[in-house]
Amino acid sequence: MNQAEVRRFAERYFAAFSSHVLESHPAYFTVKLPEEVDKDIGNRPFYWTWIEKMNIPPQPLVITFTFDPEQKPEGLRSEYLHFGSGRLQQIFQSTRRHGRFVCLYEQMEEPSQRRGAKRRSTVPLTPWLNLNLKISFICDKKRDVLLYLGINLYHPQVVHDFYLFARSLRLGPSIPDYAYTLERRLGIEKASELAEREVSKIIAQQDDGWAEEARTRLAEEIEILTSYYDRIADQTAGGEPDNSCDPKPTLESETAASRTAEKDVLLTIDEHTARGGRILDFLRVHTIPETPREEIDQSSWKQSTPAEEKERRIAELKWQYEPRIEISLINGGLFYLYTQPASAGSHTDGRNM
Amino acid sequence: MPKTPVTFDRSWLPEFNRLIADDGPWHKWELFQLALEAEEALAVKNFDQLQALKFLPSLKPYPHQLATAEKVLNEMRGRAILADEVGLGKTIEAGLILKEYMVRGLAKKVLILVPASLVIQWTKELNQKFGIPAVAQKKEYMWRQYDVVVASIDTAKRDPHRRHVLSIDYDMLVIDEAHKLKNKRTRNYQFVREIKKKYCLLLTATPIQNEMEELYNLINLLRPGHLGHTEAFASTYVEGKRQAKNNDQLRQEISKVMIRNRRSDGGIRFTQRRVQSVPVELSPEEWALYDGVTRFVREHYRSQAGGFNALALITLQREVCSSREAAFMTLYNMHQRAPEGSPTQQAIQELVDLIKRIETHSKAAKTAELIKRINDKVIIFTEYRATQNYLQKYLSEHGITSVPFRGGFKRSKKDWMTDLFQNRAQVLIATEAGGEGINLQFCNQVINYDMPWNPMRVEQRIGRVHRLGQERDVHIYNLSTKGTIEEHILHLLYEKIDLFEMVIGELDEIVERMSLGKSLEQNVIDIIMDSQSEREMALKLDNMGKVIRAMRQCVSPNLSPTQSEASR
Repeated sequence: MNQAEVRRFAERYFAAFSSHVLESHPAYFTVKLPEEVDKDIGNRPFYWTWIEKMNIPPQPLVITFTFDPEQKPEGLRSEYLHFGSGRLQQIFQSTRRHGRFVCLYEQMEEPSQRRGAKRRSTVPLTPWLNLNLKISFICDKKRDVLLYLGINLYHPQVVHDFYLFARSLRLGPSIPDYAYTLERRLGIEKASELAEREVSKIIAQQDDGWAEEARTRLAEEIEILTSYYDRIADQTAGGEPDNSCDPKPTLESETAASRTAEKDVLLTIDEHTARGGRILDFLRVHTIPETPREEIDQSSWKQSTPAEEKERRIAELKWQYEPRIEISLINGGLFYLYTQPASAGSHTDGRNM
Repeated sequence: MPKTPVTFDRSWLPEFNRLIADDGPWHKWELFQLALEAEEALAVKNFDQLQALKFLPSLKPYPHQLATAEKVLNEMRGRAILADEVGLGKTIEAGLILKEYMVRGLAKKVLILVPASLVIQWTKELNQKFGIPAVAQKKEYMWRQYDVVVASIDTAKRDPHRRHVLSIDYDMLVIDEAHKLKNKRTRNYQFVREIKKKYCLLLTATPIQNEMEELYNLINLLRPGHLGHTEAFASTYVEGKRQAKNNDQLRQEISKVMIRNRRSDGGIRFTQRRVQSVPVELSPEEWALYDGVTRFVREHYRSQAGGFNALALITLQREVCSSREAAFMTLYNMHQRAPEGSPTQQAIQELVDLIKRIETHSKAAKTAELIKRINDKVIIFTEYRATQNYLQKYLSEHGITSVPFRGGFKRSKKDWMTDLFQNRAQVLIATEAGGEGINLQFCNQVINYDMPWNPMRVEQRIGRVHRLGQERDVHIYNLSTKGTIEEHILHLLYEKIDLFEMVIGELDEIVERMSLGKSLEQNVIDIIMDSQSEREMALKLDNMGKVIRAMRQCVSPNLSPTQSEASR
């Protein structure tokens, strides 16, 4: 995104929340954040917890965003908004949170105005499921492919670039008076399965060289590692033990206990608040207390044995190299369309399944 | 052919079904579109191309830094030793690599271990230059609460912190000043080996300081077994403790895990170094002290009378070349330790009397004169606290403003002193360790008040100033007291091995490949202490210089013959 695109994006984002723009200048604009936006990008979760608990009216944040670091507004505190800035990333996250699922109806001209149409006749709208997916090819590196699938829920069929097509239509949140919707013969689960099958087909068409390479590398690395540790094992078997420090059993069990306790701390504070949780609750449950002085014992050092180290390194290698493909949903929606996308490309008939 | 496992996220299904059942609340079409546009902009379109730069509009990395980041990502797969020479921006390289992995969603949990004095600086740089939300570790809970944590290795390795660190899977581990991990028997080394990590960067300007084994140990942290088993390594690559064999093969293996950019590689324009010796004439009283101390040191070094350890005597010999104040403290301590009324104590008392008789300080006077002539910011390096204190007082008496700088200062004090130097004072007086992580490129005048006997240390001093960002030629003044050891040392370092005129980085290479660092210093010490006369010492030092020159020609055959001929 260049700076003009960043600005356009930000303007559309704030407009979508009906934000009040106080000033708009070619180099910057000043906006008052609505509550929803403030909670997403305002960086003041404690303030919001407090406002809600005390039940007092909030003071909205006002921010000036600049788009050219050379041209800062005089006498105004401003923030440089660019593709890498933390605030824009928060705005991105906010769109993801508030732009996840939609249900839209095509709004076409009234039938009476259409030539050849009978008066007072109603028109059918076909239900489509739109799934926008990200396929990530991951090893020690990563590549993404985006798919905008559309699945016809009336007459099972999968089309590509559905979103791009839908974008060209006039869409609204409610059904036009003169239209009716066709029945969704295909359930969402079944449609999702169709999409998965389509994705598998796409994956099969992709060059698999990256995964092959990663597997080869992994095998080589494991081989080097194995022979290295085997040598060490041979040596220690006949010689002196490498690790002389004995762990104290009490400390061992304490460590084990604390490790299981730590397993529960899976949410970060951001994830917690994103789910509407209160920060104070989070802190109460999750904060790790300072270890009391008397429980600190520097003597509990325990080195791994070569065998443990080998296991750990192999696990690290797999973590690093093992190729895998992850498909995640960016967003999706139900679209009731009068105009149908060209069914060019792949076509799957659901009834043959 | 094994098939790559595919996971299809279906976690959205229940929520979507519920929305359909309740017919809403649905999201806005506009936000739906924005979310997709954001995702399109963020998607990583290919495996190999750097993405991070899109996120860093104000960062202007040098070509060698970009090349390094690309090599680490594409060839070394995120496990590497970054061993650029001082001043080429290892931090920038590490930041770029880290940012790249974060942007690609491959790194989230990140640990950065650095010397305590650098924690704040790293945190600041990652936030400001790279937009990486790094925090400096202060409390125990922070290990888990924050994704990118900067901590001192000495804190992290101690309980209760160690327990937390070792139980976390780190997507990326970065260790600055990694040469401190050269010894595999240390806690630091063992601790780092135990940390669970996916990607790992080790940063050091001096991957080998003394022995080949140090590099082997570093590499073993990244990729155990990459250079084979210890014995195999030793028999394949190590000739003596400090000498490598099968150099080309070793080099090739090392280049798979280590990147070392040198200033001499070109592509980066460095300003010139202009070196000159500034001769200092001692007064008769100063001569008397110098002679007295030198005689005292040699006698006690050889006879081992008085039970002084060799190191203390060598220190004394070096101190007397720096200032009478530096020597005085050591003499005082020796006096306290010597048996009451012994001849040694008597001898020391005589030396102290000599000190008391000195009224002039020729070196300091010369320095003040030089500073006034330079009429610009100047950094003075000395190895001794006592000299530092004395100089500050002396300069102040002569109307020159100065600030002190020591390795032991807290980070905030270092920043404060740097700031004072930049804005208020003309002179910064630094002791040896003063430098780590401080940038002083706004200054281009360096005075070596005394000379370290280890050439690497001289290089580190100059590196503080002569680095990326220095826009002017760097002037180096070496004070050399006529007729003293100092003059001989300078003669050896400067004229015989052309220390100052080597292409920057060349010395590193000689030290690295010939492992001269420690041995050179030790040889110098042996020569100085064991020589019966000045003549003998001069001759031996001269011979040593010739040996080094010869070595240098083996190491750097690219030296033009005229150049080597001329300086013979």
